[in-house]
Amino acid sequence: MKKYKFGPELAMIEPAYRDSQMKWDGKIYGIPDDGDVLILYYRKDLFADPANRSAFKAKYGYDLAPPTTWQQFSEIGHFFTDKFAPKLYGAGMIRRASFLHYFFQERFRNEGGRFFNPVTMKTTVNSDVGVKVLAGMVADQKFMPPGSQDWGIPESLNGWLSGNLAMTLWWPPVGRWSEGLQAGEKAMAFVPRSQIAGKVGYALPPGGRPELALGWSLAVASSSKKKELAYLFIQFANSEQVSIDRVQLPYSLRDPFRSSHFSSPQYRALWPTAGEYLDLLKIAAQTALPDLSIRNTFQYEEALIRALQRASSGVSPKVSLDDLAKEWDAITERTGVDKQREAYKIWASSPNAYPKK
Amino acid sequence: MSSVAHRTSTFDKLVDRHFRHILLLPALVFLLALGTMPVLYNLFVSFQDITMLDENRSFVGALNYKRLASDTRFWEAWGHTFLIAAIALPVQIVLGLGLAVLFLPEFPAKRVFVALMVLPTVISPIVAGASWRLMFDHQFGPVNQILGWFMGEVPVILWTTDPSFVYPAIVILEVWAHTPFVFLLLLAAMAQVDRSLIEAAQIDGASPWTVFRRVVLPTIRPVLYTVILIRFVDLMRLFDFIYALTQGGPGTTSETISVYMYVQGFQQFATSYTGALAFVSIVVTSILIFVLMRRASIAR
Repeated sequence: MKKYKFGPELAMIEPAYRDSQMKWDGKIYGIPDDGDVLILYYRKDLFADPANRSAFKAKYGYDLAPPTTWQQFSEIGHFFTDKFAPKLYGAGMIRRASFLHYFFQERFRNEGGRFFNPVTMKTTVNSDVGVKVLAGMVADQKFMPPGSQDWGIPESLNGWLSGNLAMTLWWPPVGRWSEGLQAGEKAMAFVPRSQIAGKVGYALPPGGRPELALGWSLAVASSSKKKELAYLFIQFANSEQVSIDRVQLPYSLRDPFRSSHFSSPQYRALWPTAGEYLDLLKIAAQTALPDLSIRNTFQYEEALIRALQRASSGVSPKVSLDDLAKEWDAITERTGVDKQREAYKIWASSPNAYPKK
Repeated sequence: MSSVAHRTSTFDKLVDRHFRHILLLPALVFLLALGTMPVLYNLFVSFQDITMLDENRSFVGALNYKRLASDTRFWEAWGHTFLIAAIALPVQIVLGLGLAVLFLPEFPAKRVFVALMVLPTVISPIVAGASWRLMFDHQFGPVNQILGWFMGEVPVILWTTDPSFVYPAIVILEVWAHTPFVFLLLLAAMAQVDRSLIEAAQIDGASPWTVFRRVVLPTIRPVLYTVILIRFVDLMRLFDFIYALTQGGPGTTSETISVYMYVQGFQQFATSYTGALAFVSIVVTSILIFVLMRRASIAR
């Protein structure tokens, strides 16, 4: 990187991506290449409708606006479902557990939860906060469409883009896709045609700190025979000049991750509210919470996925999380408590690992 | 000189006596190497501490087996595997037998119907599983829609995520996919039953049920046992359908032993531990097959 003077361009990647997806313990392992952050999308037309506003205020005593707490999210969700179902439901999103754990990680930390005791490395995911969050997530199903417990990517996209939902939490491409920018692209045939273009507003998820869920980085395989060539391709694709085009291509599944992407006049002119969308994504990029990333993370995630599935299928949140805690503690034991403590310390000390009080 | 001649003569006799076995030897060695070498290597790996995440290959003795003994998820996965087999296998056999009886007499376009009946067997299991996942989908699938015609409204049955429905969904898929195989083999076996035996029984006044039970069934018994054995082995290694349909969920509700091994080996990258799981599974399955073969007298 020094040889090819890519340092200044690396510095222009938004801090949340740079801090959590580029380095581990100060060493660069890959170059962040995607602004994968979960934000709230809501139907501006429904939220602005005078009849909805007055009915909502009469029922709940405050103005109908994008929710800033999960309590509000639940109340707004119930309001729309009670009034419009089965034509329209208050909210819907990916609920399949293989993705749902990102939503849990976000909500859990926004509510003050901590994954581990940093001294003993005993799991604290089954704390009161964990149980409350999981119970809330299960209860939210009541105002979501029937059968949406198992929604994956296509089902949730269909629910949102066909206009059947008042709110959803999704990754950034949905901002572009909601405006129908992908229409006609063969590679995007899996995205339903949007029925809600011009009706979508953007907000931070309840709690205010979105999840930097998944995300893509570019890296060179240590076994590569052409390391330098591979690196140069990465530098080319990730550069200011090329990446601005890539984050606008519907089929690239890449979203703004450089400061210049958010201020790009070209991007901001794509649809009338693109500027609002990019401004929100920039705020989200600055505050996003990275996914838990320690030794054997995927083992912890696999256990978490199963715990969420159990809770969704009727097992009490407390029992699900207590079982999960036993599994997490066993994984920590097998991994080595000291080694894991060190890894957790590094991850937890990254700027956005936990929201600052 | 005479001693050499005597030895040569003994050797020749030995070769003559075992010539057919000697001819079989290369193939036998090749097959044994192909079958036993991976198992032995797997056993070797199971005593190490290999994961796909670091270069540690140290020996840990029986540690993986000790962990396995107290791994409730492993034993639950066996329970799920046996449960599916205990339900799906009898249903497949009874349905296959019934269909074979139905298709035994000649009727117009019989061959076309038989060909249509066996269509599910030519579909790749993972494709069949993915297709059935869509069929069971609450939003897009026809299963709930069809049930809705009879129930007045479309029921919210989450076939792949509701613990009460995942087993029915798996059994439906299993029966749909493999009953045709059972049917085809039993139909072929029934077609070979000597007509004179059936006619003799009928002349003696035997009812159709008695003819089936006393004449047809005993005649096709070897084939029937073989079919049961093949299907049992298939069910013991059931993976594709479960992975495509429920991925072993919700939680681990429908996790079979093969799915659990996949999770450990390819999602949690616990190579040596997966080796231990696989070795125990091979031993358990082999014992069961041996017992079944003895009971069915197949190996004789």
